[in-house]
Amino acid sequence: MLLTSVIIVLREVLEAALIISVLLALSRIAGIRLTWIRWALGTGTLAAIIYAGSTAVVSDWFDGVGQEVINALLQVAIYVCLVILAMYFSVDHRAEEGKYLRLRLLMVIGVSLAIMREGSEVFIYLSGSISDLSQFTSVLTGGLVGAGIGISAGVLAYYLLLNLRRDILPYLSTVLLAFVAAGMAGQAALLLIQADWLPSQQALWDSSQWLPEDSVPGQLLYALIGYEASPTPVQATAYFGGLLLLLVLVAFHRYTQKSRASD
Amino acid sequence: MLATSLLALPAIAAKPVFEIEIRNHLFEPSEIVVPANTKIKLIIYNRDSTAEEFESYELNREKVIMGNRKAVVFIGPLKPGTYPFFGEFNPNTAQGTIVAE
Repeated sequence: MLLTSVIIVLREVLEAALIISVLLALSRIAGIRLTWIRWALGTGTLAAIIYAGSTAVVSDWFDGVGQEVINALLQVAIYVCLVILAMYFSVDHRAEEGKYLRLRLLMVIGVSLAIMREGSEVFIYLSGSISDLSQFTSVLTGGLVGAGIGISAGVLAYYLLLNLRRDILPYLSTVLLAFVAAGMAGQAALLLIQADWLPSQQALWDSSQWLPEDSVPGQLLYALIGYEASPTPVQATAYFGGLLLLLVLVAFHRYTQKSRASD
Repeated sequence: MLATSLLALPAIAAKPVFEIEIRNHLFEPSEIVVPANTKIKLIIYNRDSTAEEFESYELNREKVIMGNRKAVVFIGPLKPGTYPFFGEFNPNTAQGTIVAE
């Protein structure tokens, strides 16, 4: 029970922790106050509790696939937030105060949605053991250990990013955000396949022999780049399409901002 | 087992329907045989009061099923083979396999 809860909570925390650490590092370097994270954690946790409480109702929507459809919508919304943030952060906006407010708001929304999505499952899991005190203690202890490991990984990533050469950070964070965002797009497609809203096909490839999804590197890669061992063509298209779209939009944004600056 | 768990509803959808129950953190039946290369509608009834998460890396599926509720999961078309699944909240007991043939 203890180990199970460590793994469940760690899996959910890791992905959100990674997004948060990249955005915090970018904020720090752009001179944006880090107070937005408090709002994001607060709203995200509240939203996760409410969403967990409504899961039974949501599940019955759309002929029993409401959970998939709503989760896919959440993933798409996070994807959109990450794309706009990657565009913003790719250009130095230090001179424009007004943009900082929008930027902070966007980070609060994106991170809240990520916490809502990942956190709701943790709350559902925890609430299942609440009636049995000894079991609840064990689950809670494991959960705290899992959360601790996930948060430590996020803190480590944050300081690693800050210790990079300053001219590398924007490129690396764009790449990191791009892969995390692509993972969101791929996940959204997978959920809609599971709901039978998108066609299900046989897998394009199967790399589970070399790198199983339930192994430690598999889980890390899942959190980092949305790794799937056996994606279908639709899923892979969403993933690589999402990746390409973000990179093209960032490049275009940089180009237009630069040419505007040189005018 | 095939005869008992197969509940085809051809009038509503062409997809064969299979049902699984969760009782005391166990899947019943723990093995179901499904046709290969066919899309399948899996209905999972959770008879426990606590939530469970149906999860399978091999099937690429993951879904929370609240206590005393049911959930629909579409799987396949599957190549012939064995596909394990488990309940993520009780992985030591809640285990099963889907055999596609």
